[in-house]
Amino acid sequence: MTTAPLKPSRGLRRSATRGGGYVNLLYLPALVLFAVFMIYPLISGIGLAFTNWNGYSEARSFVGFDNFARLFSDPVFATAVRNTFIFGIGCTIIQQVFGLGLAIALDKPLRGRSTVRAIVYLPVLVSPIIMGTMYYLLLQYNDGAFNDVVVAFGGERMAWLADSSMAIAIIVAVNSLQFMGISMIIYLAGLQSIPEMYYDAASLDGATTWQQFRYVTVPLLQPAFATSIVLNLIGGLKLFDVIKILTNGGPGYSTQSVSTLISTTYFDSQSAGYASAMGVALFAIIIVITIIMNKVLGSRKVEA
Amino acid sequence: MKSIKAISAVALVATLTLAGCSSGANGGDAGGDVTIEFQTGFAVDDGEMTLMKELVSEFEASNQGVTIDLIAAGTDYESDMKVRLAAGTAPDIWNTHGWSLLRYSEFLLPLEDQPWADDVIDSLDETMRNDAGEIFALPTNIDISGLIYNADVLEAAGVDPYGIESWDDFDDAADAVNSDTVSPIYQGGKPLAGALADRVVSGTFDDDDLAEMLDGSFVTPAYEEMLDLVQDWGDSGYFNPDYSSASRDDMAKALAQGQAAFMYGPSLLFDNAWSFNPDANLGFMPIPTTTGAPRYLVGGERTAFGISNKTENPDEAKAFIAFLAENDTALAAASTSPPGLTTATMELGKLQPSFEKWMTEEEVPVLPYFDRVYLPNGSWESMQVTTDVVITGQGTPAQATEQMKSTYDSLRGQSE
Amino acid sequence: MSRLSKVLIGIGLAVVCFVQLLPFYVALTTSLKPKTDLSSQLALPGEIFFGNFASALDDGNILRAIVNSIIVTAVSTFFVCVLGALAAYPLARRGTWVNKVIMLVILSMIMVPPLSILVPLYTMLSKMGGVNTYWGIILVMIATHLSLSVFLYAAFLRTIPSSLEEAAKLDGANLLQTLFYIVFPLLKPVTATVIILTGIATWNEYALSSFILTKPDVQTIAPAIASFFSLQSSNLGAAAAAALLALAPVLIAYLFLQQYFMKGMVAGAEK
Repeated sequence: MTTAPLKPSRGLRRSATRGGGYVNLLYLPALVLFAVFMIYPLISGIGLAFTNWNGYSEARSFVGFDNFARLFSDPVFATAVRNTFIFGIGCTIIQQVFGLGLAIALDKPLRGRSTVRAIVYLPVLVSPIIMGTMYYLLLQYNDGAFNDVVVAFGGERMAWLADSSMAIAIIVAVNSLQFMGISMIIYLAGLQSIPEMYYDAASLDGATTWQQFRYVTVPLLQPAFATSIVLNLIGGLKLFDVIKILTNGGPGYSTQSVSTLISTTYFDSQSAGYASAMGVALFAIIIVITIIMNKVLGSRKVEA
Repeated sequence: MKSIKAISAVALVATLTLAGCSSGANGGDAGGDVTIEFQTGFAVDDGEMTLMKELVSEFEASNQGVTIDLIAAGTDYESDMKVRLAAGTAPDIWNTHGWSLLRYSEFLLPLEDQPWADDVIDSLDETMRNDAGEIFALPTNIDISGLIYNADVLEAAGVDPYGIESWDDFDDAADAVNSDTVSPIYQGGKPLAGALADRVVSGTFDDDDLAEMLDGSFVTPAYEEMLDLVQDWGDSGYFNPDYSSASRDDMAKALAQGQAAFMYGPSLLFDNAWSFNPDANLGFMPIPTTTGAPRYLVGGERTAFGISNKTENPDEAKAFIAFLAENDTALAAASTSPPGLTTATMELGKLQPSFEKWMTEEEVPVLPYFDRVYLPNGSWESMQVTTDVVITGQGTPAQATEQMKSTYDSLRGQSE
Repeated sequence: MSRLSKVLIGIGLAVVCFVQLLPFYVALTTSLKPKTDLSSQLALPGEIFFGNFASALDDGNILRAIVNSIIVTAVSTFFVCVLGALAAYPLARRGTWVNKVIMLVILSMIMVPPLSILVPLYTMLSKMGGVNTYWGIILVMIATHLSLSVFLYAAFLRTIPSSLEEAAKLDGANLLQTLFYIVFPLLKPVTATVIILTGIATWNEYALSSFILTKPDVQTIAPAIASFFSLQSSNLGAAAAAALLALAPVLIAYLFLQQYFMKGMVAGAEK
């Protein structure tokens, strides 16, 4: 969400920080909250990964690395990891395309512009669990609105979620439709921060609309790209409620994400120990993604 | 920035409100007043919940100083209970929904000394009591069902439900009703694939097989036979096209609208279906076997209330449970189910004919849920998914049975 | 721009609006029909049925849930902004290795799924007496949404030259004065973003709230709406009615804040 492409000179930044470590006191409150409400629970979760706990009873015993060994030979977990990446990357791509397209269309003066913006953004305001339920209604076989339309045009009713690839595509689409409003707003803000004179200069030089977009808009939108991509990637990788409602991981296990599989394993299969092992593996994946993200974001400001 | 100021103001007001609220709430316990937290597991507008609200106010009126904190729950009820048990903060009373013995008994007070305990009907008494004779919950109703059907759909296809005695008869009936608008078996894979397996499987295990299961060895051929049946139904196109995504609500709606001929599931499907179409003509019949044993119905604990063994107010909680036992006739009727106590009368309304036919006239056996007796606690999810895998063609009955066996072995290891 | 492309854009936008509004239209028709009305979701109700709205208000206690959501969202969002901005400042300005590691830890917190921390978190909270209380859920909401806020503030701060802060320091301002008079005013645009993202996320939070808030007195909207669906019965009509009622306040807040958001962004660019 950054706008000014200026980078402070190294010397200035140095001297600003030489003031001493007491500045670090400012992040103490945040760190305390993280330590108590996130890091401590996460670490206790790691301990459970070495037990065969059922998730509620007092009885549990230590099983060493059994759960982790099982993890590496479990095809279901592999499917869930693959799906998680499909959800994360698929949603990110679709939301960038639609978000940016809508932002460009709605950046120009247009009658009813703010109404359209509000409508695009509307689903963001609703809990994903409710949005998922609304889409489930539309997709129902017997009484769903989509099938009503199909039948009205003389087609055959479709079982929309019966095929796993189709179901995965629908899950990606539903989540992308719900949250493309966020990308749109971020890109709109980014576009509005680009001074008009850059475009004027470009068109004086005889640049076409596409060239203006390619050489003025895209580079100056870099910060907006970064923010929007990060937010959408997080949203896609964390996707949970929509899957639970639309397919609950089915048919079979074919649409499980890591989050939904952890939930099913923990609560339904009553294998909290194994679910915790999955959680640890997920956290390892998260850290790798975070490091990559941090590197990419750290370097892009130089180019911007 | 204005918005920041506005939000700070809201935050300030809210903090003040908070302070006010919490100080008020803390003052409530003085003077010997007792609050019993009662987690019902019902939706806020459920029929049983509505009746429970009335019963609670009646109880509170005659027991001054006792407050029953009646709590509704969403679909996450089971998870919620597990989290609370893990945290050691169970409610005083909760709905054990079929699991008073296997899952919850280590957290519940034994109630066999209660006035109602000897009145629990036989089929429930068998499965709800442990070897020491302890019983942990008051069953207000019983979940009895077999093969659920829509009588109008069967009649239109010329099928007599009372004539279906074997799986071959069933196949004939299914072929007769199968059409573009009617699915012979309307099942939702998401919620109830396991319910199908759990009901059919009792008919493929003979007594020796069952004894082996209790001893700790999984009887592969008998389990696979059940999945073979299921696969044949799939191959014959008996399942609904939206099998893999249908919810329990979709099943109930299809049953109510005559888009379903048969389905497997808990008896609450009847009430769900009637909520969409009160005139639907529904019934149930016993399930055929492959072992030569007689056809059977399946039944077990449905709504039952137990008391936490950590409650600070066991006497008040027991008094309230005893009060519910006195009102069992109404509680059972609110769920269109037979009561769990012999002292109550059955008011089954539209299900009366099925009950009279099978329970009174034919006296078919009522078997317990297979998984609750013969499978270790926690097997349900595996039963659900392995059946789903067979129906959706992602695996063979042999593979699914193998997976079921490994779940059985590992969960038995966990509980020992 | 040519006339043709204008028309095409218009059509495209109309399609997008149609797609986005469709679920809400279906929610509306569902909420206005009794459960026994099995007509198409697309058909308007023959006769408007208010029973679902009555049930949402009486059984679902939805007005109370809206008030609870407003309290929880406002307080959590306020602290997420303040604590996030404070924490981001040293992390963006002092690039020591300790701070880099801390930043990485905070970033990785963004993606932790709520379920991974649920049981230990609940256990701890219940020992503290925080289950079914405002302060309990608010602390949890702040902790789970703070990491994104730190990330956004830090990314923004890195693009602002520290020359102003240097100057303030030379003029004898202490750290807090520099923060409140120089740095925080520059953070307006990103604060608008943090408010919108955190506000919506906490308003709609379900994964943890549904466990921590089970009593109607404190329940926020997502768990309140979910209590129309149980293991035993479900009432889509009432849930749809409740969802529509709960949408009203947040829609108004969005329309109000959207202006600040855009203005803030432009102001940020001019500086």
